[in-house]
Formats: sequence, structure tokens, C-alpha cells
Amino acid sequence: MSALLSGTGLIRNYGATPALRGIDLEVGAGEIVAVTGPSGCGKSTLLHCLAGILRVDDGTVTYRDQDIGLWSEAARSRLRRTEFGVLFQFGQLVPELTAVENVALPLLLAGTGRREARQTALDWLDRLGVADSAEQRPGTMSGGEQQRCATARALVTVPRVLFADEPTGALDVLTGEQVLGQIVRVAREQGTAVVLVTHEASVAAYADREIALLDGAVDPTGLGLGVTL
Amino acid sequence: MKASTLARLAVAGNRTDVLRTVLTALSALLATIAMLCAATVLSITGWAGRYTATLLVEPGLRPGVAATLVLVSLPVLALAGQCIRLGAPARDRRLAAIRLAGATPGEAVLIATAETAVASLLGSVTGLVAYLVARAAIGEQHTLPTDVRPPAPVIVLLVLLVPVLAAAIGALLMRRVIVTPLGVVRRVRKRGPRPWPGLLIAAGLVLFALPVQDRFETRIHPSKNLTYVFLGGGVLLTMAGVVLGVGWISYFTGRLLRRYGRGAATLLAGQRLITDPWNGSRTMAALLAAVIAGSVALGYKALLATNFRYYDFYNQVMGSPNDEGIGAGAEPSFYFNAIRLVMVAVGLSAAVAAAGLLIALVESVVARRRAYASLTATGVPRRTLSAAILWQTLTPLVPALLLAIAAGDALVRLIQTDFDLGSAYRECVADAGPRADCRTLAALHLPTVLHVPVPWGDLGLLGAGALLAVLVAVGAGLLVLRSSTDLEELRVG
Repeated sequence: MSALLSGTGLIRNYGATPALRGIDLEVGAGEIVAVTGPSGCGKSTLLHCLAGILRVDDGTVTYRDQDIGLWSEAARSRLRRTEFGVLFQFGQLVPELTAVENVALPLLLAGTGRREARQTALDWLDRLGVADSAEQRPGTMSGGEQQRCATARALVTVPRVLFADEPTGALDVLTGEQVLGQIVRVAREQGTAVVLVTHEASVAAYADREIALLDGAVDPTGLGLGVTL
Repeated sequence: MKASTLARLAVAGNRTDVLRTVLTALSALLATIAMLCAATVLSITGWAGRYTATLLVEPGLRPGVAATLVLVSLPVLALAGQCIRLGAPARDRRLAAIRLAGATPGEAVLIATAETAVASLLGSVTGLVAYLVARAAIGEQHTLPTDVRPPAPVIVLLVLLVPVLAAAIGALLMRRVIVTPLGVVRRVRKRGPRPWPGLLIAAGLVLFALPVQDRFETRIHPSKNLTYVFLGGGVLLTMAGVVLGVGWISYFTGRLLRRYGRGAATLLAGQRLITDPWNGSRTMAALLAAVIAGSVALGYKALLATNFRYYDFYNQVMGSPNDEGIGAGAEPSFYFNAIRLVMVAVGLSAAVAAAGLLIALVESVVARRRAYASLTATGVPRRTLSAAILWQTLTPLVPALLLAIAAGDALVRLIQTDFDLGSAYRECVADAGPRADCRTLAALHLPTVLHVPVPWGDLGLLGAGALLAVLVAVGAGLLVLRSSTDLEELRVG
């Protein structure tokens, strides 16, 4: 499988504290990769660097054979609203917009007409089982509904890669499994690759492959959380 | 991004954002009305004997009336600038979430700027409507100039000026803010402010002195309009110097507080002043501008009073009755009433400026509520936090007020500091004109000089009034400290 997204020799420091110490990894089209490890090992930093949210201090992040580290912030933002989807532990929805407006936002930012964007957003909310909450604001929705809504927003542009950082970390076990099941199902249906950051073995079990990190580097023991290698 | 999307995102907000929109619109409304009134006064041409108010009749006095109206609009505009910061934490979260959804950094700044511009435009259009309705309701009479109207392009320009200025202020406030998908980061200057605004004050004084200083041989003789530019430019430069100088004053006094202060309150206040020395410049700008204007007016009042004493004395020595000697026809009460009106405008400006300070203070307390709640949780008494806020506000304010009063009075003292009764004077024996036959006479040989006094009492009252306005604003602002230090704040989000 040829790599859709790859990182080579990724190094990232926060001041004098190293977060990533030369990580190499590849993600193929439609592949679901779990990045696991204990707290503070650099999982989220790795995801942010791969998604172009953070710049690496050294190394290259390549997407479809292009080094996105050389791109401007605006170009990387456009990449995130067209080719990438991003999902965090807390939905990071705009609290002042309704659910349907939140889901339609990436389309509206890309210049899609309001009516078309709204219809597409409604379809996605329906697909994820939260169509009834379309006109609600995030503050009046449950955690599970918010995360489904955030998932719809991350997938509404039919991205090639979905970055999910502890997407079920704030949910109870049952709701978490339901949300994760939907993410994986939709990703498989449309061939979206998923980079899934987690420290839970049950979540990592949904992935095709696991990359375990330890102190900012790939764990040489390769044990990780004990999932498929 | 389409304009409709921008408009939708610009009006998205919670209750604080609604409050911000209302206050911004209200500020824009008041500023627009004040500026339209100033433009109306300037639209009167020639000698306008049809009005009962002498200030509107004489062409030479109308620019002063217009300048006073603009003076009132300045703190209102500054209030609009303060309102931009209302609800900043929620807006930061919103902008970060929009960035996460794929907005570019430029689009995030555009949305933030549009929020202010839309609210200001709403206010300035309402202001225009109120101005036109009030004119129609008042009808033509002789008290107010409802028979003249500024040209349509000027009206359009003024209505657009407020939103453009407000948007520019908004964009300026965003220049050190980086909105990332992970949150909002504020870049902090590592180097402390320097005292270079002192140069601005000096430049302002020099510019003001150029057309008014008799004693310098280098005195220039600009045209009437250019004189206004020199005088206005001098005052504005001095104001800018004082306002920007507060940054250095805050930093310097913050270091003194940290070094010599005793107790937690002075330590907290000193560190805050060092960390964000420009906060004082932002929050006190309008108040200091009003104090400078007040100081100029009071200094000018002292100058006028001395001038009238000089007339009386001169006429007494020359044996001329007051209604025939020099200064005949000049009515002191008219000038003093005009200055009283300016002082009313200064008082209004100071009140609006204090309201802006209150908004800034409440916003600053709300933005730091979790830090304050943490301090309370660890045993820091609320009175210590209140004292820290008082120290933080008053430490730079007192020297800044002194500087503002001194700068304002210095401007007036550049015009004249004494009236020399023994000096020679020129007398023209032909009709006045370029070829008039003038000769210099030593009419009086009295070694009498009337000095223009520094109006210490009036200036002291001005400073005390400004200080009182700030104390009231801080006192009101501290009321939110109790709710903001509630330990429940630590459980939020």
C-alpha cells in the first residue's frame, strides 16, 4: 500500500522539552492507524504535526508526495477544510452556532452555497443519528450528541484523512463505543484514512495497525497496548 | 468565504456578545451624532447673526465648538474600542473552533474585525437616522443650526468613519493575537517599554508653539487653516505622547512596586503592570485625553482672566473708560461661559472614559476568574485581590494624571505667560492696511508685569475629579470580584 501521509524524522520541542524525537510513520489510503502510549509521550503533538496544526522543528510531513511543512498557514488551513478532518476529545464545536450550522461550517468556509451546505450537513447529522438535534446549540446537547456532531463536521467534506485525538475520552464506555463504531464505519465506507490517538486498548482495537510511542519516540519494544501489529 | 457566511459568523455570540454589540452600537451612535453636529456647525458660513447663540454667530468661534463636539466623540470612540474586548475568552474559543473547522488565520481576523464593524455600522446608521429625525422634529429656529446641513458626501463619510475606525481598532488589537485551531495565543513583547513617548510630547509642544510664540525670532506665520493644523496637531501629538507614555510609566512603577512593595497585593499588582504595561494606555487613553483638554481649558481660563485684568489696569493707567479703551466690547462672561461649556464636555468625556475603564476592569476580572478563584482557594483573601487591583490601577494613574495636567497647562503657557504693561507698542496713524504708517511708541514705562498664574486649585480639582471617577469605576468593578472568585469557577469547563 503506498503511503498517503507520512512523517519522516519528526522532531518537535516545546522550549527545552522534547516532545517528538525523530518519529517515522506512514499511513496508507483508507487505513486506520492507532497511535498509543502513556500520557505525555507525544501522541497529540504527533497528530497535530501530521494534521499541519503544528509545524515540526525538523523532519518532513508529506501528504500525497508534497511536503506540507513548506506550506503557509493559510494553505494548511485550506488543506484541513478540504482533505483532512479533525476531531478532538471535546468536540470543539462553535458554542454559538446550532449543530447543523457547525457541521455546515467547513463547507461554508470553502464557499459552498448556504442551502447546499445546510442540506449536506443535515444528511450527515442524519447519518450519525443526531438529526433531531440539528437546531440545538452544543450547550444543550449531551456529550455523545456533541461528539457525533463533531464527527459529522469532521467528515462532512469527505476528507481523505481523519485525525481523531482521544475522540471518546470524554464519553462513557457505551456512548464511546457507539461513537467510535460510527467513525470507523463511515471511514471504511468512504475510504477515509484515520489517525486515531488513544491510550485505551479498547479504542485502539478498532484500528488496523498500532504505533506505540514512549517519551516522544516509537516504542522499540513495539508492545503498545497489545493490539494487532 | 462568502459575505453571508462572514455576516453569520460575525453576529454569532452569547449574551456577553449581545451586550458587546449593544454597547458598541450605542458608542458608535453617540460618536456619529457628535461628529454630525460638529460637521453641521462647520457648515455654517460667514457671520450668522440669525442664531441666538454667540458661539454659532462668530466664524472664529465655530471651529472651537466643533472641536469640543469632536472631543466628546473621542472617549465615546474609545469606549467602542473597550467594548471590543468584552467577552474575549468566549470569542477566543469561538475563533479557535472556527479555525479548527478550516478557517485560515486571515479569515479568523476578518471575522473578529467584522464583529466590531457590523455592530458599529448598526450604531452609526441609527445615529444618522436619529440626527435626521431630531432635525425634522426641532424644525427651523434660531437656537440650533437646523437650517444648514453638511454636504451628503461628508455625512456618508462620517457615518462610515466610525465603523471603519472601530474595525481598525479591532484589527489593531488582534495584531499580537494568533488564533490557532488549538486556542488563542497572545504574543508578549519581551522588552519593556521605553520612555520615547516623551519625544512625542516635546514634538507636540514645539508644533503648538510654532505659530503662537512671539518671543522666538523663528516664529512662523502660517495661514489661518495651517495654524489650526499646527495647534490641533500639537495638541494631538501631546495627547498621544501622554497616552503612550503610560506604558512606560506602568512598567517603571510596576518594577518599583515589585521591588519596594510590601505584601502580596503590591507583588501581584507590580507583576501585572510589568507583564502588560500597555493595559493602562488602552484603558486610560480617553480619560487622559479628557484631562489634557480640561487642563488646556482651565489654563486658557487663567490666561483670559489675566488678559482682562491687563485691559482693566491699562485702561485705568491711561485714564480710558472701559467701554472705550483696549478690550472694549469684549465680554468676559461670554468667554468664561464658553470655557464652562468646554468643561461640561470634559466632564461628560471623563464619565464616558470611566465607563470604558469599568468595562475593561470587569472584562479583565472575568477573564482571570479561574486564576482568581485558584488564589482564593489557596487562601488569598479577597481584600488582597481587591487591593492588588487598586494598586494596579492607581499606581500608573496618579503620575499619568500629573503628566496629563502638566502637558495641558504647558500648551497654554506656550501662548503667553505674562502681560508686560511697560512694553512698547505699535500705533498706526493711517487706516489699517498693508501700507499703514506704523511707528513704535514707548507708551508706558511702568515696570509692571502681570503673570498668568498656574491655576493650581482648578487643576487640582480636575485631577481629583478624574481620580474620583476612576475610584468609582474600580469600586463598581470590584463588585464582580466576589462572584468571580467563587470556588465554583474552578469546576467550570
